[in-house]
This record gives sequence, C-alpha cells and structure tokens, in this order.
Amino acid sequence: MSDRTENLLLAVPGLALLSLAFFLPIGKMLVLSVSGPDGPTLEHFARFLGDPFYLGILWRTVRLSVVITLVSALIGFPLAYIMARVGPRLRLWLVVMVVLPLMTSVVVRTFGWMVVLSRNGLVPDTLRDLGLVGRTFSLMQTEAAIVIGMVQVLLPFMTLSILGVIGRIDGRLEEAARTMGCGFLGAVRTVVLPLSLPGIVAGSLLVFTLSASSFVTPNLLGGARIQVLAASIYKSVTQTLDWPFAAAQAIVLFAGILLVLAPYVRMTARRHG
Amino acid sequence: MVRAVPIWVRIAAVVFVGLAALLLLGPLVVVIGVSVSESQFIAFPPAGLSLRWYREVLSSGAYLSSAAISLQVALLVTVSATLVGGAAAIALNRRRLPGSEALATVFLSPLVLPTIIYAIGMLMLWSALFGTVSVVTLWLSHTVIAVPYVVRTTLAVLAEADPFLEEAARTMGASRIQRLLFVVMPQCLPGLAAGAFFAFNISFDEAVLSLFLRRPGLTTLPVQIYGQLEFSPDPSVAAVSTIMIGLTILMIVVIDRILGLNRIASA
Amino acid sequence: MADVRLASIRKSFGTVEVLRGVSLSLASGEFVSLLGGSGCGKTTLLRIVAGLESVTSGSVEIDGRDVTGLPPEKRDIAMMFQSYALLPHLSVAENVRFPLRMRRIGSREEQHEKVRAALETVQLGHLADRRPRQLSGGQQQRVALARAIVSNPNVLLLDEPLSNLDARLREDMQVELIEIHRRLGLTTLFVTHDQEEALSLSDRIILVNAGLIEQEGSPAEIYARPATQYASSFLGAANLVPAMIREGEAGPVALLGDGQRLALPAGIAERGAATLMLRQEDLMLAPRGAGGLEAQVVTRVYLGARSRYVVEAAGIRVRVLSGNDRVFERGAAVSLAIDPGRIRVIEG
Repeated sequence: MSDRTENLLLAVPGLALLSLAFFLPIGKMLVLSVSGPDGPTLEHFARFLGDPFYLGILWRTVRLSVVITLVSALIGFPLAYIMARVGPRLRLWLVVMVVLPLMTSVVVRTFGWMVVLSRNGLVPDTLRDLGLVGRTFSLMQTEAAIVIGMVQVLLPFMTLSILGVIGRIDGRLEEAARTMGCGFLGAVRTVVLPLSLPGIVAGSLLVFTLSASSFVTPNLLGGARIQVLAASIYKSVTQTLDWPFAAAQAIVLFAGILLVLAPYVRMTARRHG
Repeated sequence: MVRAVPIWVRIAAVVFVGLAALLLLGPLVVVIGVSVSESQFIAFPPAGLSLRWYREVLSSGAYLSSAAISLQVALLVTVSATLVGGAAAIALNRRRLPGSEALATVFLSPLVLPTIIYAIGMLMLWSALFGTVSVVTLWLSHTVIAVPYVVRTTLAVLAEADPFLEEAARTMGASRIQRLLFVVMPQCLPGLAAGAFFAFNISFDEAVLSLFLRRPGLTTLPVQIYGQLEFSPDPSVAAVSTIMIGLTILMIVVIDRILGLNRIASA
Repeated sequence: MADVRLASIRKSFGTVEVLRGVSLSLASGEFVSLLGGSGCGKTTLLRIVAGLESVTSGSVEIDGRDVTGLPPEKRDIAMMFQSYALLPHLSVAENVRFPLRMRRIGSREEQHEKVRAALETVQLGHLADRRPRQLSGGQQQRVALARAIVSNPNVLLLDEPLSNLDARLREDMQVELIEIHRRLGLTTLFVTHDQEEALSLSDRIILVNAGLIEQEGSPAEIYARPATQYASSFLGAANLVPAMIREGEAGPVALLGDGQRLALPAGIAERGAATLMLRQEDLMLAPRGAGGLEAQVVTRVYLGARSRYVVEAAGIRVRVLSGNDRVFERGAAVSLAIDPGRIRVIEG
C-alpha cells in the first residue's frame, strides 16, 4: 500500500458521507425548486419574487440580519479586545462566558428570552417601573425581541472570530503607538481596529449568514405575524406542504447569502494569491 | 507615573463586561430560576421555590422518550463523527492528497451552509428515496454537521505536532499500521476526544434538523421543548432546559480539561 | 555496522535536479560528514540513504545488499533528526525502546537492558521516566542519540543534530559523539553546514556543492588543500585575493592590484591570472616598515583572546585574525605579511 492509498482510504468515508448525505440532498433541493407538474419551471421563483408579501419577508430578513450583525460587531469588538488583553485566568472565564450560550441548545436560550421579554417579564417590568412604557407593554412578538435574542445567540461567533485575530496582533504595536503620542483609545482606533478588520469581516459574514437563515429564535420571539424567510420555508414544508416552493425559497436564501459572501471571498482569495 | 490603561477605561471595561455577561448568561439564569418556581405560571423571579417540575419532567413519558431518542442519536453520532472526522483529519494533515486545500473546504462546508437549507434538502431526498424519516435519517444528518467540528479540533492538534515524527518512526522500523497506532493516534487523541464531546453536544442540542426530520414518535428533546414553547409552556420546560444546560456545562468542563478552551477559542 | 555504497545517484524534485550524479562509499565503521551550504543536496542525500526519499536513478547498497527500493522501516538504519523527533506521549525510556519494539529486537527483558545501556552511554539513566517536554534541549538531544544507537544499526544517520544547540552544548555533544563513535564503531553519515564540526568529528569529509561532490578527503587534507573557491570558503575563514603570478628573480611572485608583490613558494606552478587563498589566522600584522605589504587598519573587532581586523592593502580588503598581545587601532598604518608557504593558489 502506498502513502497515497492510505490517505485515500482515510478520507473516503468522509467523502462518501458528504457526497451522499450532504451534497446530494442539496442537489435534490435544487432540482425540486425548478420542478413543476409539466417539467422544469421557474414559476416558484416567480411566485416568490413577484409577491410583495414574500418580498416583504425577504426585506425583513435582510434588514434584521444587518441590524443584528451591526449590533454584534459593536458589542463583539470591545468584548474581544478586552478578552485579548486580560490575563489568562480571567480570559478563561470570559471564554466560558462566551462559549456557554454557544453550546446551549437554541430552544433553551430562546425560552429564557421569552420569559424575560414577555408581558410579565423582567425587562418590561423594569421599563414600566421607570415609567417609560404603558401597562400592557411586551417586547414579545416584536422585531426588537428578535434582534435581542439573535444577538445573544450570535455574539459568541462574532467575538471568537475577532478574538482569534486580535490574539495575533503584537501588543507592542499599540505600545509603539502610545510612545508616538496616541492616547489609549487612539491606539485602539489606529492600530487594533484596522488590524482586526479581517476578524470583524469574517465574524460579520458568519453572523449575517446565521441570522438570515435562523428560524427557531425569530419564530418564538417574533410570533406568527413577524415572519422571516426561514419561518416561511418551515411553513411551506410542514403546513402547506408546498415543497417545491419551499425549495425555491431556500435557494433564494442561499443565493442571497452567497451574494453577500462572494465579494469577501474574492477579496481574501486575491490577497492570498 | 504612566498608566498604560487609563482608569476610566478600566471602569468602563468592567461595566461593559458585566453587561455583556448579563446579555449572554441572563437568559440561562432565568431558565434555571423558572425551573425551581412553585407556581405553574412562568415568571422570573420565581414566586416560590419547589422541585416539582423536575419530578414532573422525570416522570413524563413524552419528555423521557424524546430524551431517549436524543441520547440514542447523540451516542451514535459521537461514534460515527469521531471515526469519520478523525480519519479525514489525519488524511488532510498529511497534505499529500491532490487538492488538499479544496478537500479541507469540502469537509468544513456543512459549517458554512445554513442548517435549514440542508434540513429541507435532506428531508426531500430522504422522502423521495425512502419515504418516512427514521432514527437513521437523524443519525446521518447530525453526523454530517458534527464531522466538521471533529475535523477542526483534530486538525488543530495535528498541526501543532512535530511533522517529522512519522518519518522518525519509519527510520525506527515502524510499519504503516504501527505508525498509525503508535504515533498518529496518540498525537490526535486530545483532538479526537474534544471533537467527540463536541459531536455529542451538537447532536443532543440540535433543533433545526430535528424539527424537519421528524414524525410522530420520532421527536428529539429540543423538538419536544420547541413544541411546548409554541403552545403552552409551563415551568416543566424550564426544568428540562436546566438539565440540558447542566449537560452542556459538563461538556465544556470536559473539553477544557482535554484540550483547553483557550486553544479552541483561538482556533 | 556495515559499509554503504551510493552509485550515480540522481534526484529530481519536479523539474529541479537536486542531486546530479553522486557516487560515494562509506567503509564499515567510518564516520563521514557531508558538508555544504544550504540547498547543496546533502540532506537529500542522507534521506536517500535512509529511504525517506526515492532516487530518480542510481542505487543504494547497505552491507552489500541493494536497498534502493526498500522503505526506511525495512532498512537496518537509525536516524537522528535536527528537531530530535521524540514521541511526546512516551517516557524517555519508552522512546529509546521504540525502535526495539518496532523492529521486534529481543525479548522485553533484553530490550529493557539495551535501553538501560544506551541511556548510560549518554548519561541520562536518571531521567528514564521523564517525558520529553520536561527535558532541556541538550537532554532531548541525547535521548534522540540513545534512541539512534540502541538498535545497533548498520548505518547511523545524523541530520544536523547539533544545530539547535547553543555553542557550549554543541562542543560538549561533539566530544560525546566522538567518544560514542570510538566505543561503538557504527558506520556514521553526518550532515552539517558547520566546517568545525565536520573537521573535528569526521574520519572523512565529503564536500557537496549544487548536487555534486566537489571534494572529498580527510579533514587535514581538505583543510590544507581546498581545491576550489567553494571548498576554501567552507573550510577556514579565508581571504580570496585575485593576483597575477609572474616569474620573479627568486621564484614565482604574485602581483597585486597596486603593484605590490607577495613572494610565493617555489612549488607553485600556475602562472597568469589566479586566485590566492590567504587564511585569516596566517596573516600577520606589524607596525609599518617591518616589511610586507603596506596596509591600513579599517576596523577592529575585539573577540576576547584575539581580534579580527579588516585591513586594506593593495586596493583590496582582507580579514586578519590576530592575537591581542599587540593591538592596532582604527586607521593605523601597518604592514601585512604572510609566510609564503601558507599561501594557496586555487582555481575557480
């Protein structure tokens, strides 16, 4: 047996699994999205893109994802920076703090938000006590709830992505900037921020992709009236049983995500030659 | 005296981290709090303290059977994902296959694709080929999404290992199988172990795939919880969720012991 | 121990030909160094003897057997790597035992006995149960050495094993290697880019340049008579000075840039344009007027027992290594002299 053969044997189970149980299903879905009673057709796409209701869902999904991504980046960057600069013991605890929600089931996390944001929940209670809102105020079934819930779910991805990059920035660069006259924030702004950009971008793409395709949290926190694309797909699959339409929506979702990812991938590919 | 980090920045950082902790861990704390509530209404802080919901959960047929299915699938997935992912990682690390870069991307691609897209694809293919879904469907699909994690952790460990060890073993007379057993496997072990625990956790907590790939009698625990949440939650949901949180914490502790969380966080 | 024979070895990586027809042989028990700069092919040659690289053409014989197609695990060799390559999950003793296990040499008791003996030889018996990461660089190195000798291989291969050590440890290890070789008499092939190492350890030095053997011989031979510029630049810190060799009244004479002359020994036959090799330690400095070339000190570097000068004479700069019993400052006018018998004329 040669080296080549040995490596091939090691890789084959994985390749077989992925081809049959990953790529094939996706292929099937692609086929289904263009299938109609009389052969291949684009009617499902036309139906989606021609109906303002669905376009509204698409727009909402994109809009919310952008907001979620921005908020995650705004919180994630300082958090990652702090985590990178503290001592190892504290960093371990912070990593646990970030990883724990990541590894908890999404239904469990969302449940927590349902409690906190509902009419009797902690947040509206507090806001009511502060006199800011009325008696029946509830954050449930609002877009704000979705954003808050999703940010908690996705913040760890953003933070870890940026942390990885900041961790590789030489701390002496900031020191050098300080010796050249920058203040603390100035050093962060002129040295750390530009150098962490790859991590911020990678994290943003990850968070955007996950927000756009997420459905458990938006469903539970937004309710039936505020649908995102993923929820619409779920409905088509389980309730209206219109699978080709569901497949078409999934393709639209996938295409949208690729549209956002493509320039980034090309940018990094060019840089790495 | 020059202070590298101004005082006000330190204070702001502490406050900020405190708020972030609140955001990240708050909901989990709330869930745990609700689980020990006495009343049947979901409220936080809980009205009284009682363990009744845990008793309910542990004697509920629905919860127990769905937990059993989750456990069964998770164990199967742990074994399959670790074997498949570990082997793939060893092959990828050697970098002697044509197009290794592309291959690595292929193995990590389930991470990039939104799960919902994969879920409906799987449902559609399986239905077309085999009809109704079964434990095998869950097993296969969970394995697919768990493999990238095993590959990543194992590759991370292998990347740090001395690349000359296998050559040295050859000059010491070790055959192909001896090298795999005595040199490569011990090197991978921490990565494989961590990957195995990741795989278990991912499968057990997995909600999206399981929501699509279900039928009456084939409900995983997260799906059971989701069902309750959609319609009529009572604190028993919180009790189940707290048990799941406990399991997750256990996993994190174990993974940290084996591999070190810091290492994974920066991988 | 056994002899090794390489015949017409050619090796290409893709379109790059790294070894262009190398033939050499090691007598049983001989310690031979492959010396050369980076990229010259010496490590590839070693790896070919090990079986870690295949040959594009040519043959390898160990102990009279053609092993050209055999993988390393089937050759009776042992190799010491630059990075030691100790198995991190095994103790020191288990590391040393590994080749015995893999090659199934001896019973368990015999294996433990051989391990004990090997660790004694490198003076690490007391660390047998430690893990590699608990040892210092020098100690890890010696474990690697013990592991290489424990199976009493036909050929011992060493790939720049000392280059990761600091100067002091290196010297100590060189002495140990000499001792061990004297005691065990293993046929040894040693790769290095460090001329001092090669000179001090070897029975024979093979100088490799751009995939071919440039020169081979005993250390004394090569050091005294380097045949080419490459050889001389590798052995001894030499100055290479272009000159015109003419017939003078008392024998050949070398004409330098500005017309100054250096007397050459009568035996030198070359005439015309040539390159002279003047060793740093052979050149002598004296105050101006003491005879020799007129020169001026450009810089001086203090080295403790000696100083290294850069001296300008006859339009060129040469380095001189001189004792500190007499010191010359920057800018001093000096005279530069050399015993004609120590001048070498080289080609290339």
